[in-house]
Amino acid sequence: MAANDDVRILASRAAAPIVRRELSRRGFLAVAGGVGTTMLLAACTTPGGDPAPAATGGTLENALSIYTWGDYDAPEVLEAFTSEKGPRITLDSYGSNEEMIAKLVAAKGTSGYDIIVPTGVFIPQLIENGLLYKLNRDLIPNIEHVDEAYLGRVWDPNNEYSICKAWGTTGFVYDKTVIQRELKTWDDFFDAAKNEASGKTSVLDDPVEITGIYYWANGIDWDTTDPAEIDAAEKFLLEELAPHISAFDSYPGGAAIPQATHALMQVWNGDARLGIMNSPDPDRWQWVLGSPATELWMDNWAISASAPHPEAAHAFLNFVLDPEYAVAQIDYIGYHTGAKGIEQMAEEAGLGMLDMVFFTPEQLATMQDGEINEAQERNVEIWNKLKAAAGA
Amino acid sequence: MRNLRLPGFALAIPAWVWLAVFFIAPVGVVFWYSFGYKPGLFGTHANDKLSLDRYLEVLTPTFFDTFVATMWIALAGTALCLVIGGPVAYWMAVKSPPAWRGLLLALVLVPFWTNFLVRTIGWQVILAPEGWASQAAQAIGLPAFDILYTRAAVLLGVVYNYLPLMILPLYVAFDRVGEPLREASRDLGANRLRTFWRVTLPLARPGIIVGVLLVYIPLMGDYITATVLGGAKGNMVGQMVAAQFQTAQNWALGSAMAVTLILVIVLSAGVVGALLWLVSWPMRRANRLVLGEVGS
Amino acid sequence: MSRSADPRADIATERGAVTLQAVTKRYGDQTAVDALSLDIQPGEFLSLLGPSGCGKTTTLRMIAGFEHPDEGDIQISGRSVLGTPAYRRDVNTVFQAYALFPHLTVAENVAYGLQQKRVPKLELRERVAAALEMVQMRGFADRKPTQLSGGQQQRVALARALVNRPAVLLLDEPLGALDRQLREEMQLELKLLQAQLGITFVFVTHDQDEALSMSDRIAVMRDGRIEQLADADTIYARPASAYVAAFVGQQNFFDGVVAPDGAGVDSPRAQLRPATPLSGFAAGDAARAAVRPEFVELSADRPSGNVNIASGDVIGVSHLGEMLQFLVQLDEQTAVLSRRPTPDAPALSVGDRVWATWRPDAVQVFPAGDAAARSGYVPPPTAAQISDP
Repeated sequence: MAANDDVRILASRAAAPIVRRELSRRGFLAVAGGVGTTMLLAACTTPGGDPAPAATGGTLENALSIYTWGDYDAPEVLEAFTSEKGPRITLDSYGSNEEMIAKLVAAKGTSGYDIIVPTGVFIPQLIENGLLYKLNRDLIPNIEHVDEAYLGRVWDPNNEYSICKAWGTTGFVYDKTVIQRELKTWDDFFDAAKNEASGKTSVLDDPVEITGIYYWANGIDWDTTDPAEIDAAEKFLLEELAPHISAFDSYPGGAAIPQATHALMQVWNGDARLGIMNSPDPDRWQWVLGSPATELWMDNWAISASAPHPEAAHAFLNFVLDPEYAVAQIDYIGYHTGAKGIEQMAEEAGLGMLDMVFFTPEQLATMQDGEINEAQERNVEIWNKLKAAAGA
Repeated sequence: MRNLRLPGFALAIPAWVWLAVFFIAPVGVVFWYSFGYKPGLFGTHANDKLSLDRYLEVLTPTFFDTFVATMWIALAGTALCLVIGGPVAYWMAVKSPPAWRGLLLALVLVPFWTNFLVRTIGWQVILAPEGWASQAAQAIGLPAFDILYTRAAVLLGVVYNYLPLMILPLYVAFDRVGEPLREASRDLGANRLRTFWRVTLPLARPGIIVGVLLVYIPLMGDYITATVLGGAKGNMVGQMVAAQFQTAQNWALGSAMAVTLILVIVLSAGVVGALLWLVSWPMRRANRLVLGEVGS
Repeated sequence: MSRSADPRADIATERGAVTLQAVTKRYGDQTAVDALSLDIQPGEFLSLLGPSGCGKTTTLRMIAGFEHPDEGDIQISGRSVLGTPAYRRDVNTVFQAYALFPHLTVAENVAYGLQQKRVPKLELRERVAAALEMVQMRGFADRKPTQLSGGQQQRVALARALVNRPAVLLLDEPLGALDRQLREEMQLELKLLQAQLGITFVFVTHDQDEALSMSDRIAVMRDGRIEQLADADTIYARPASAYVAAFVGQQNFFDGVVAPDGAGVDSPRAQLRPATPLSGFAAGDAARAAVRPEFVELSADRPSGNVNIASGDVIGVSHLGEMLQFLVQLDEQTAVLSRRPTPDAPALSVGDRVWATWRPDAVQVFPAGDAAARSGYVPPPTAAQISDP
């Protein structure tokens, strides 16, 4: 793919309406995901029935169904797959992992989806419920192009079920015209929220991200289940942070940064980059990676246990991991895809603000994997209390 | 030969089936789940042990505070829609040239042509500190204004999104009263105001009740409008319910919250109805006339 | 002329008098009421009669105050009401579809007007009871209008208007929705009620029978103007135009020319000679003669004389109760209708050859230029037109 092509894509994306971005990957629909839909879904049982046919590298089926986050793959990559390999692709999208899982569970093996893209922390749940297909790694030799740093994560140590699709981390963005000092750590974040940015601060609308700020700032394990630590987090967040929060916004890059709605925002790196690129005055904004610790979340390619087209699904995974398509993907979604040498390729393609996509090994060492554990219920409770307190 | 004519209620069977499948059954499922519990980390609900414990978990100060905030927004939003939509509907049904009415109704529905979420985000763009509204204010010499993430912005969005739901039933109600009855009232010596109070309003009452319920009930469950425009100030109880189903994956507690919410909505609608009935009682009493044995 | 010297001037200021002076009402470029003038006497029962679109309802609505004239003046009880809104006019209306308030009981409907005038409660109850008594609806006081039949609703509407003791009662086709027997009963009751109360009634109808049976005077309207204003006898016996002649009662029309001696009209099938020679016509003028069916006698034998006579074949016999009606075809274009009282009707049946004759004083002659009976307005079917192909 030629470099000037990438520039063209970048330009057209920058010009795309904010609203379109709002509805894209990890976009606002995650919040809007209806309770109604979820409530209609039936019981959570292990899917029965016959196992799907095994993938042995035989002829590809003529169709492939991908169930993924909205707007999460460069269209030219999907088109290239169909024109080179044959299977016609059907795309369907979800706004949250829970929505995707509920649909797979409810369909009891008849969902018809081949490929799904769960976030890492949900993979143990999917495996336990028998919803994932054990990959035939012989059919995916291109996994060798994936950086080892992004393989073998805790949720799937041997990549038996999943391969990195994209990953991101958490930090914050602040308005230098409002906060005229340098912020570096989560403690600085708390301090600025209480002072210059009081009433102009937003945090991610996700329970573990909010409690995370406290744990990361204080050197506590993000995945702690220690009641004393959780109580301390609750007390601190309710008393020290809640009065200064004006919004719970998971995607400030969509509107809040371009429109300068807030002065201080907890934000995921790719979203921050997008927001600053879309801002009429990019120099006004400063991105800070969370410190001393922060998270690493990862979305992963996986195949549904009931995939009707397992050969095509394996062929697609192998295809999409080909370095030839890495730049197109990173340019389209704005997150690191885990491919080896992608930083250099992105630089050569002239993509901007790459310091918000690629991180040093030292920074990578500070990023922790999340986990869904017994603390989840308490985290949700704290989240609700924070919201009630901030809205009062 | 036996006569094979279908009974009259057969016509209503599709509607009943629809209601049963898509309303009663889901609500029944939610009701059932609310007596269960969350079985372990990756389960969402189980009903092998039944209890009312989830309801005890619902009744926390957080739920109560959030509920009060939600109710405040729902009541204020409904009242605003009524105050703004009432005169508009009256004008459309009574005063506007009849030839315009089709067009006016279409215009009321124009916002519905766009996705609900996109419309609301559109307001976010307009109301942002550097958005159009602020720029327009500054252009004419007013100070920049910043109402995004306030209760005022929430109410603005609520009125914008729900006004058509108020206007349409009110329009139908006012329209159905009809010009002949208003003329009869004026003919009998009532001026326009008296005619409105004694003829138009009582006859439009079912439509007004429909309009109020049509706005109030979905508003109690809506949290999109409120959170997009109100941020932290738009915290709604619907979000807590959604959080239990999605983030916490605790369908049992989420169901108990949903059932509580349904009960309180029904109860509050009943209380408001009873209050209105009480308030209008003196007037109805004053106009009631039972002849009894007079003059006969 | 001083006011006191003209007795009409006094009458026109009495309570219940209604005066319209050159009243005009336009809707866009349509003139609904065209420079209409009308004096209605206190206590008079006046009907506005005409087809739909003739302006009668608009005229009534202007008196009530629901429409406002573009030109001219309207006075009620001697005072101009142009600036008076409907709710302050001393008139009440009985509406075509009754317009009873569905949310109020019968008694509350009737009390509505008195409540607006803040009549004390005791008096109010007595007046409401009396008004319901008057229309024999006392026993239905606590029902809702939807629980009543059409005739009962009609009575309630009447009581609701009359309980206010208005100077003028306006009735807008009030009997239109009732079946025939009930309508005839109500006609009689209305007339008795009006005579008893002495209130001015202005009654709008398109039904000539209603107008004829109740009115002191009838104003036959056409295109926003009054075509003829007279009592029922005059309207019936001496219509001022072919239009009125056609609209009120039934007619046999004969189109022809004025005879050379000016004595009558010669049409292809008959020579029509009225009792007195025509005036205002010249020999050879096109003219239209009319004879009402009840004046047409039939016989199997040829009577003497050459005028006011025509021959033809009986093509239809129908029984109207107290009358027998015969349709006699004169030629392919023309038929005449004859009605004879049943006891002395001739024993004729379809196919019989007969002679039709009529008395000279039954013949009326109108200018032929007055084509309204054909164009613009379709009159009740007359014999001459029934056979029109």
